[in-house]
Amino acid sequence: MNEAHIASAFDRDLEALQATLMKMGGMVETAILESARSLEDRDIELAEQVRKADKAIDALEEQVNEEAARVIALRAPTAGDLRTVLTVIKISANLERCGDYAKNLAKRTLILAETPDVDGTSASVRRMSREVQLMLNDALDAYIQRDEKLAQQVILRDEDVDQMYTALFRELLTHMMEDPRNITACMHLHFIGKNIERMGDHVTSIAEQVVYLVTGSMPDDTRPKQDRTAYVAEGL
Amino acid sequence: MNDIKISASGVDVFYGDTHAIKNVSVEIEGNTVTAFIGPSGCGKSTFLRCLNRMNDTIDIARVTGSILLDGEDIYDAKVDPVQLRAKVGMVFQKPNPFPKSIYDNIAYGPRIHGLARNKAELDEIVEKSLRRGAIWEEVKDRLDQPGTGLSGGQQQRLCIARAIATEPEVLLMDEPCSALDPIATAQVEELIDELRQQYSVVIVTHSMQQAARVSQKTAFFHLGDLVEYGETGHIFTNPEDSRTESYITGRIG
Repeated sequence: MNEAHIASAFDRDLEALQATLMKMGGMVETAILESARSLEDRDIELAEQVRKADKAIDALEEQVNEEAARVIALRAPTAGDLRTVLTVIKISANLERCGDYAKNLAKRTLILAETPDVDGTSASVRRMSREVQLMLNDALDAYIQRDEKLAQQVILRDEDVDQMYTALFRELLTHMMEDPRNITACMHLHFIGKNIERMGDHVTSIAEQVVYLVTGSMPDDTRPKQDRTAYVAEGL
Repeated sequence: MNDIKISASGVDVFYGDTHAIKNVSVEIEGNTVTAFIGPSGCGKSTFLRCLNRMNDTIDIARVTGSILLDGEDIYDAKVDPVQLRAKVGMVFQKPNPFPKSIYDNIAYGPRIHGLARNKAELDEIVEKSLRRGAIWEEVKDRLDQPGTGLSGGQQQRLCIARAIATEPEVLLMDEPCSALDPIATAQVEELIDELRQQYSVVIVTHSMQQAARVSQKTAFFHLGDLVEYGETGHIFTNPEDSRTESYITGRIG
């Protein structure tokens, strides 16, 4: 549905709404990357910056919701237009959560900066967050391009993030068993890893919204679950 | 799923050389409001008028195909169009009360069809129809006054009351609210929903929101074709045909 509306102001409203969402998405991508980098580089200044920037993300979510409510009230959107507005609302909520997780990572960085890195685990965290950021970038591209195929690929890639999280979990467990002095840092790192894994779920949900936007129905939930940590026993 | 009230198959309509309806097949359900939508000139009113043979009154109109009401062909030679129209009533775009009293506007149909044996029965029919037309309270004290003296919204409800006085099985409405203000529109829409308990209602409307509000089934016509016909909720959230989507979302299609 690429044709223009007869009422061009309707097109402008929908474009503005999606532009605000994309701006929000860009800010969240930055927050994900920079929070992980601040951890790896022990860069407190950068962490503080990420923490503060989350306010702007929250404000954008509010703006998206207000604009969406206005479009619903004034334009009574139907069919593809309706799905555009509905998905914008949902995706903005997903982005806002991702922003919160990035902020949380930055907060933990402020604590972890006091301690030395536990044997390269910060690098694992950065690789994991890099993967989530790339997924988010593709999910947002898929949204703008109305590219169902790309969205489906993003959904499948969540598996990789889950596997990275499971690997990190095992790594942290090993370090804690080796030396109890690692426990504080490892607990923080574990929450960080879990939060990034949750970001992956939110990005997956964004990709699912893209499928709904394009096709009118949600994708079948057939993707394999790779978070195996519930089955990881002591002494692995 | 309700019973099929009207079953049309392979209907074509020509006005002289103009092919106004092209091979349309549709099944109208009982106790259901069905909305016909589409741009001007798409054939929705023409098709509506086939359902009670209003096109018979147009010399150059030619209707082919079959339209069954409860399984009986309404275009069969032995069907009396006047009797048919008592069963398939119609309400038009502009309120058109007879230049008679409010009472006689309603009593006219039942009188010519012999539905009342005496004055008491006729009074009863008039009151019942006006009540069902949601206008009784407003006119009960001035039944002898001319129907043309009522406000536009009241006149339209009077016309609906008149249409249901003959106990039709199907009520056809051609843009019934286009001349009404939002309050009167809401009253007529509420009335349409009540009428659904007893009748099949088929409504032609240019207001997409009205179609969405009042109907359970929606048919989209375009250039004489029935493009899409389905459950209203589905048509307005996820239409199958790109022409339907273009039309309902206000795009040039």
